[in-house]
Amino acid sequence: MRNLNATSIREFCAQNAIYIVLVALIVGIAVYDSQFLSVTTIRDILLQSSTRAIIALGAAFVLITGGVDLSAGRVVGLTAVLSASMLQMQDYPRRFFPDLPDLPLLVPVLLAILAGLIVGLINGVIVAKFSVPPFIATLGTMVIVYGANSIYFDMEPNESQPIGGLRQDFSHLGTGYIGPGGPYSIPYIVIIAIVVSVVVWVIFNKTRLGKNMYAIGGNMQAAAVSGINVGLNLIVIYAIAGALYGLAGVLEAARTGGATNNYGNMYELDAIAACVVGGVSTSGGIGTVPGILAGVLIFGVINYGLTFIGVNPYWQLIIKGLIIVAAVAVDIRKYLAKR
Amino acid sequence: MVSTTIQIEKGDFRVNKLVSTATAAVLALSIAGCSGSGGSQPTAGEGGGGGASTTPKIGVAIYKFDDTFMTGVRNAISQSAEGKAEVDIVDSQNSQPTQNDKVDLFITKKVNALAINPVDRTAAGVIIDKAKQANIPVVFFNREPMPEDMQKWDKVYYVGAKAEESGTISGQLIADYWKAHPEADKNKDGVLQYVMLKGEPGHQDAELRTKYSVKAIEDAGIKVEKVAEDTAMWDRVKGQEKMAAFLASAGDKIEAVLANNDDMALGAIEALKAAGYFKDNKYIPVVGVDATAPALKELENGTLLGTVLNDAKNQGKATLNIAAVLAQGQTPTKENTGYEITDGKYVWIPYKKITKENMNEAK
Repeated sequence: MRNLNATSIREFCAQNAIYIVLVALIVGIAVYDSQFLSVTTIRDILLQSSTRAIIALGAAFVLITGGVDLSAGRVVGLTAVLSASMLQMQDYPRRFFPDLPDLPLLVPVLLAILAGLIVGLINGVIVAKFSVPPFIATLGTMVIVYGANSIYFDMEPNESQPIGGLRQDFSHLGTGYIGPGGPYSIPYIVIIAIVVSVVVWVIFNKTRLGKNMYAIGGNMQAAAVSGINVGLNLIVIYAIAGALYGLAGVLEAARTGGATNNYGNMYELDAIAACVVGGVSTSGGIGTVPGILAGVLIFGVINYGLTFIGVNPYWQLIIKGLIIVAAVAVDIRKYLAKR
Repeated sequence: MVSTTIQIEKGDFRVNKLVSTATAAVLALSIAGCSGSGGSQPTAGEGGGGGASTTPKIGVAIYKFDDTFMTGVRNAISQSAEGKAEVDIVDSQNSQPTQNDKVDLFITKKVNALAINPVDRTAAGVIIDKAKQANIPVVFFNREPMPEDMQKWDKVYYVGAKAEESGTISGQLIADYWKAHPEADKNKDGVLQYVMLKGEPGHQDAELRTKYSVKAIEDAGIKVEKVAEDTAMWDRVKGQEKMAAFLASAGDKIEAVLANNDDMALGAIEALKAAGYFKDNKYIPVVGVDATAPALKELENGTLLGTVLNDAKNQGKATLNIAAVLAQGQTPTKENTGYEITDGKYVWIPYKKITKENMNEAK
């Protein structure tokens, strides 16, 4: 009886390592500074994790198929600039498009998301139809997207100036909230991230596309033999991922009230790190939405909590790196044990 | 269908051990990290009860920690804070979203004033909105917010230098040399033939320094002719390459080299040395901006004519002084900050002309 309990506790720990780390981090920081445990800090962390969660969910689609998508960060930058350039106030002195009338908010937002989707689609076609390894394919599009975005950003009359003076309704999307204000209110961005998470959970668990995604990541040949159209599925998956990065880019612009071509730089690595820490296997086939969200939150807690208690930023980097490596070391063990 | 879920084997002790070790390691590390940083933030750990301390708390966000100039400003802020305020300095990692996150954190921590070095000057508006809502005064420094954002609230200040001034001073260095040394006019046509090494195109400093350095020479009553102008992206290696190309195409015509920063000026000096300059009375005046340590070395060697110091010490000190006054609920004045305040919001820190004679001021 005692043995059985010990075994089941160990198993529980192994299955839920990620959540245990998350709780341990929060407890550790809270022990150090009790002010950390407050509604405001929780709200801040959720707010800061929201766009990262959307990007990580996009990156997870690709990771689960056994691929990797390096273009994520630059797509965020592209769509931040695209949406911001079309949503400036009429009386702002340095407008990107001086004569552009006020468009309905949804038009630039959807155009930006569409741009992200198209980049994803191109990634998918390069990977699926030209058999270029995903790392190389998305490395290429990453550089191309940054180049294209920089050309757009450098166009007259903007000439590489940061895009500011964003419309109130657009900024409101990034800074507004439901509720009385103060700590007991829910920012729109958090709500958007929750909706996206639910939709992604449904795709992962309740749709044919989701099942195909896990199958392709588990064993691509077997998936093809069992009648899955691997190419088509990959293209759709990369496109969805691109659209999610696009949405995140729009939200980053709205949240900060501006955009430059440098937005989103290196976000892809943060997203991959969050996924991996959240139990997504880089060799494909494995990953859950709650795990990914926990991975994102772990980095959210580290970023916020360690700054909150005044840990030297260079130490924060070391801690982050160690957590990434430790998580993958644990992750790999699962497969070694299987074999 | 292929089954793809892989279950963790029951009772796999290695995995379990590893997981618990990893968890423990993470915890231990986060705590070790905390205590390791104790020196930088002496009273942070007091927690709950320490809210009403007498020294005001100032939250400082730097756009990027690994920027040389901003490191100078950052150090000046820490030094000036001693005995005056408790500063919490964070790195925005050259990302505006990260900086906004840090500002939210400072507001949650209820700092008494903010000192922000914006990543993106147009994003200051959102930060001002946040600060105003929380009623925390904010001092921006080194990157100037848009004038309309500055007008949003009366507790918003700016400390910085006027970029055009750095150009003006570098132009004056050349003009002074030209007037004192008639032999500098190599072809005796009474016109100063120069080459310009520009920083990143579109960069405000690059455009202003280029424009105002030439304007300063013209304002001194000297006729100028541009032999060549190209961007070397603030970079020493590119400065050397571009200068070598200029020398190859128009070597003897060039009478002065203007560079938007010291790195490019030093690159140009290397190219000039390779072409036989700076020995046997072969000389050409080169000026840069920044007064970096390697540039001071070249001043000493007599290769670099002069440079312009962006005064990090005074930028940091003025920022801290104003933030500390604001944190105590007072209005900054010349008396309580030691710096002249223009238009009720701006403190302009002048650039300094640095030559071999006064180079110790820049060290």
